[in-house]
Amino acid sequence: MEYLTANVATSMYWLGRYLERIEATLYEINKAYDKIIDVDKNAGVKLYKKFEIDLKYTNASDFLDVAIRGDHSANLINLLKNARENAIISREYIDELAFGEIIELNEIAQRIAKSAEPIDYKDIDYALSLISEIWGAQTKRGHRKEVDYFLKLGKLVEEVDFRLRFDRKQKMTEFILEEINAIFKLLNPKIEINISQSEDIMGDLYKEMDKLIIN
Amino acid sequence: MLEKPTRLHDKFWEIFAKQDRNKIDEFKTYMDKFAVNFNLYKDGNFIEQSLPFDVIPRIIEKKEFDKIEKGLIQRVTALNLFLEDLYTDAKIVKDGIVPQEFIDSASGYLKEFVGFSPSKKVRAHINGIDLVKDSKNDEWVILEDNLRVPSGASYPLSIRDTYRKIYPDFFENLKIEPIKDYPKIITDAMNHVNTGGINVVLTPGRFNSAYYEHSYLAQKSGAYLVRAHELVVIDKKVYFKNYDGQKILVGSIYRRLDDDFIDPKFFNPESLIGVPGLIEAYLAGNVALMNAVGNGVADDKGIYYFVPKMIKYYLNEEPILQNAPTYLPYFEKDMDYVMNNMEKLVIKDVAEAGGYGVLFGHSMSALQIEDLKMMVKANPRRFIAQELIEFYDEKCYLNGNLEDRKADFRAYVVVGEDVKVWNCGLTRYALEEGNYLVNSSQGGGFKDTWVMEL
Repeated sequence: MEYLTANVATSMYWLGRYLERIEATLYEINKAYDKIIDVDKNAGVKLYKKFEIDLKYTNASDFLDVAIRGDHSANLINLLKNARENAIISREYIDELAFGEIIELNEIAQRIAKSAEPIDYKDIDYALSLISEIWGAQTKRGHRKEVDYFLKLGKLVEEVDFRLRFDRKQKMTEFILEEINAIFKLLNPKIEINISQSEDIMGDLYKEMDKLIIN
Repeated sequence: MLEKPTRLHDKFWEIFAKQDRNKIDEFKTYMDKFAVNFNLYKDGNFIEQSLPFDVIPRIIEKKEFDKIEKGLIQRVTALNLFLEDLYTDAKIVKDGIVPQEFIDSASGYLKEFVGFSPSKKVRAHINGIDLVKDSKNDEWVILEDNLRVPSGASYPLSIRDTYRKIYPDFFENLKIEPIKDYPKIITDAMNHVNTGGINVVLTPGRFNSAYYEHSYLAQKSGAYLVRAHELVVIDKKVYFKNYDGQKILVGSIYRRLDDDFIDPKFFNPESLIGVPGLIEAYLAGNVALMNAVGNGVADDKGIYYFVPKMIKYYLNEEPILQNAPTYLPYFEKDMDYVMNNMEKLVIKDVAEAGGYGVLFGHSMSALQIEDLKMMVKANPRRFIAQELIEFYDEKCYLNGNLEDRKADFRAYVVVGEDVKVWNCGLTRYALEEGNYLVNSSQGGGFKDTWVMEL
């Protein structure tokens, strides 16, 4: 039987959310950067509107700079720092390799944060490959434990959040919500849960999280 | 001064000569990547840093280690008997072996616990005993007993795995004792005293200097890592708060915080890292605490002087391992000696730890010596004096050069059903040449310890 403190459960959940958020944001930054070069100068502004951030930049390189280390709530350096903190709190439950990748990811972020040089695109590609490795290392574990489902739950909740912000296909969102419902039931069979498309899906999810993890 | 190399050392250097030295940097990369940290607060700032590590291991021949092992088992057995006696019948005091005044003035002595016996009467479960090897006679000497919350075992454990990956040749070609069983020894000790329930490791939290170790040992021993507010005491029983609201009975707590902070209802009311009501549960016999509360009296620097006497008193044996020659200014004869020889002695403030409050007579000015003499005279119980042990240096590979550094050795002795000495330990070396202080908090580094045979 596996027990978990609320602290570990919460940290794993947030680790999943932060990693997913960082990965998804980097992919979106990637796309916007490409458009800014010669297709749509405002692609970055449009992207960050989805995060309710009014982003200002002069060109594609400047966009990368302010998107990643600018003074705003979606600053990736801070997100990575938060991911690392959550990993350290729950490290005994994380695959060793995945843990190492998270620390390395943060090292890259800290180096970028301290550097006065323009952001090197290679770092972004490398960060993305590290995140893929983290997911891979964490999911390859043969014997899945309860704690792994908190990480997955965080990932899926973040995916839903992104899908809602980006108005993506409802059908896939429904599918993800079904998966979330299943995880909730697995983690606490006593919880009556059936989150589906509603006016406030994220609000509903947060309410259920409060029931799932009792502090 | 280096110890005379043995054939084991020769074998090591033969293999070392064939290794790619560029790979040494990989140890640091590993420690950074896996956050093998020792945290510090410096100028009010929290600093996470990896401990300096040296690739040249301390080599101890198996038959030499066997003698150390016997001596440590003897010593820790006597210390456990002392603690149990002191807190129950106090025969050792009544028989005049240890003066009552030394007990009363030891900051770790807790009168409130007199009359209480913990689970299986084990008090010092996980012990870190600091030794050095004296270059004058080639004998190992005990410098300090740590019977409260000794740390450090996780560092050699972590680095050994890396060592095997980076330089497998050593492990393929030399007979090095494997060390992976330490977490199991801890688990067995926890199970031995467990009063019924799960095992947990209680950490002060993420910002403690040894948080890495707490997390590592919890993971490897299968105990649950908890902070104070994740435990709750109900009807003198301790429960683990599961994320879903379930409360799981706890039977054994490997606590990694000091007595003063462990229960704000009993000790320091300001403590935010303690579990309210824990001591009530402990005194009711409903949970085991590793190590027991009140052990500080036994590793008090003043009480250290009496440990050889304890061995004779409880076990009727001669000590296998000796203390460093120690003087207690409390005794008139010793006070005279200390006053007349302070220039060559090491003076230790009994209230300090971690290498703080250690003064070397040979490096003090005449004025400083006079000041210290006045302090010792004014408060003789606060100080002990020891002959300076010229302990051996260890060869260290620092910045691409082989250099000599003073090094001690912390052995880990775990008391469960039996007393076990882990066949590794933490070898700590001083940051600078000639420095005798090797503590991590003084900037010292660590190296692996290989118990080997031909």
